[in-house]
Amino acid sequence: MYAQQPLGWGADPSGGAPYVFPDPANPDRYIGYEKEMVDALAAAMGRRPEFVPSDWETLVSALERGSFDVIVNGLEPTADRARQILFSKPYYIFQLQLTVRTGDENIHSLADCTNHVVGTLGNTAASRILQRDGIPYRGYLDPVAAYRDLELKRIDAVLMDVPAEAFYARDNPHLKRAGQPFERGLYVIGLRKGDEQLKAQVDAAIDKILADGTLEGILKRWKLWNEAQVELQARARAGQSGDELAYNLTSITFNWREALIRLARAALVTVGIAFGSMLIAMLLGLPLALGQSKGARWLQSLCTLYVEFFRGTPVLVQLLFLYFGLPTIGLAMPGWLTALVGLGLNYAAYESQVYRAALEAIPRGQWEAAYSLGMTPVLAFRRIILPQAFRVALPPMTNDFVSLFKDTSVAYAISVWELATAYRELANASGAFLLLGVAVSAFYLAMSLPMAHLARRLERRLTKGRTLGVEAEA
Amino acid sequence: MISVEGLEKRKGGKQILRNVSFRVEAGSVLGIMGASGSGKTTLLRCLNGLEQIDTGWLQCASVTLDSGLPTKSYRRRANELRRQVGTVFQHLYLFPHLSVLGNIIEAPVHVLKRMRAEVETEAHELLRLVGLADAASRYPESLSGGEQQRVAIARALAMHPKILLFDEPTSALDPKRSTDLRSLLRSFVTRGHTLVVVSHAIGFLQGLSDNLLYMEGGEVVEQGPTAQILQSPRDPRTLDFIMHDSAGASA
Repeated sequence: MYAQQPLGWGADPSGGAPYVFPDPANPDRYIGYEKEMVDALAAAMGRRPEFVPSDWETLVSALERGSFDVIVNGLEPTADRARQILFSKPYYIFQLQLTVRTGDENIHSLADCTNHVVGTLGNTAASRILQRDGIPYRGYLDPVAAYRDLELKRIDAVLMDVPAEAFYARDNPHLKRAGQPFERGLYVIGLRKGDEQLKAQVDAAIDKILADGTLEGILKRWKLWNEAQVELQARARAGQSGDELAYNLTSITFNWREALIRLARAALVTVGIAFGSMLIAMLLGLPLALGQSKGARWLQSLCTLYVEFFRGTPVLVQLLFLYFGLPTIGLAMPGWLTALVGLGLNYAAYESQVYRAALEAIPRGQWEAAYSLGMTPVLAFRRIILPQAFRVALPPMTNDFVSLFKDTSVAYAISVWELATAYRELANASGAFLLLGVAVSAFYLAMSLPMAHLARRLERRLTKGRTLGVEAEA
Repeated sequence: MISVEGLEKRKGGKQILRNVSFRVEAGSVLGIMGASGSGKTTLLRCLNGLEQIDTGWLQCASVTLDSGLPTKSYRRRANELRRQVGTVFQHLYLFPHLSVLGNIIEAPVHVLKRMRAEVETEAHELLRLVGLADAASRYPESLSGGEQQRVAIARALAMHPKILLFDEPTSALDPKRSTDLRSLLRSFVTRGHTLVVVSHAIGFLQGLSDNLLYMEGGEVVEQGPTAQILQSPRDPRTLDFIMHDSAGASA
């Protein structure tokens, strides 16, 4: 063997069928039509392919950082990407397919979707189309989650590139195609700006495998060969460049005005989730704290189990469980509600410990003084202990709220449109990581700094008002 | 008004009180004296039902607590008892989140469900009685130790208890204030209250109590009229305590 220079190529294998994905029979190996295509391209270039598993949303920035040499992942040549990277010749003409639930009689085309939420992959030609047409949509990280949420009625339709639709949805009895494939777009290979030499090599290799039928063979094996591809092959065989091919679908640009509106909506969702889950945590924390410190033995164990479970496992895992796990027993909540409930249940464990510490901080004598005035335990708790414990608990609760506010960002994992998701998707779509990063951070700080300040002030006031208890105990 | 018969109390395997019996007539003052660790504070806590007794029985006002009662009904009766027995703890335990007025009206309003306006008028009278007429809107933390104690007394009086229990009322007071407190407590007798005062300060009990009870090691060593106990104690241990105290006082 002669020493071959490796050709690093990046793609997202998670939910990546049929492009590139882990072989179900052997998860250490990757398969897919693009995997086979890259093997053919690399062979034509005399290089050794080296796959770098990455994340779809950050492919462009990873390419710019030099994590790999080319992006081969069904990449569409959009105008805003063209400002960041180079494109090779097109190697595939894709179309879009709208999918709905089998029983759905209302949605026949995208035009019927103005009042329905449509799922799609974030930062794709499909998501730009939805954005352009003013159709409410949710960006997913992989097609599997999108089609699952469609089945669970969390969304009403999914718009996806035909290759993914063909692999994930076409054989699902619960889903059906709404209308025919429509629009046309191109898949190209992405390269770093300045890599003109590599681009020339890649273009030549694409021409070669298009013309000699290698690509045709691969696409036919994957059932992706169709009329559109014939056109592309004919051009290559005639020695024509595919560069002048530019379909509507892949020339849609990033819309800043729309992006800012979506960012503002994400901010509202973040605030809503934070306040909602804090309310749940505060309400649920009290019975937990009481059960753990004053309940019967079985109740104590139960509450301790709850607290240890929610504090001892990552909140991210809890959210994924609630979102993907619960539907299997018939409980499918929408994403925002899952985040709200999940964070609420999680923080209830923390609040219960804050309450418990606060209750224990109240001297035993306060109970006895209340009893001595004829109060029952319930009355003594409500009128004497609780108001005092609340003052003790307020500063740590405020601190927890600041943490909770930041923790809402885990909702990104279940495709809730909150600030972290918005940042990731909008920054990836626009390339404005710095600008949007500053804007999003400013918003988080605008919420958390005043809260932290409030916590410190409460703490100071509390230590002042507490001297009595200390004196009396001494 | 108070009867205690064969009362015993154990805590953590240790005998705290042993065969305690005594009576207190209505409108009289009983002083309970003894060194620290003699069990006198525990006895007081038994009298208001905070501690459940292991043997014997006790009666305060109209409520009887018998060691044979199941815990649940013991607690219910103890709660009933405490509506008739006011307690002023050594550490007072005022409610720091409530104003002076709030401390006083809390129980009458929420336990007895009396009208707030009526209770407030009465609370102001009680504050005048204890010499704190202007303190109603202040908070406990801003008061001196002596002032806090008088608020605690007013708080107990607001429930119209037949019996008042005091635990070491002079522990935080200088001699002048002790004398003032003694006349205040004495005036409660003329208002119809029965008092039990636990203290190790014989001088304070001397001018206050009608009867004295001396405790040591959880047992009643001697009891009788104040003058008789202080001037001619029958038990050498009582004499020893009295001699020790006066020696300490003169030092």
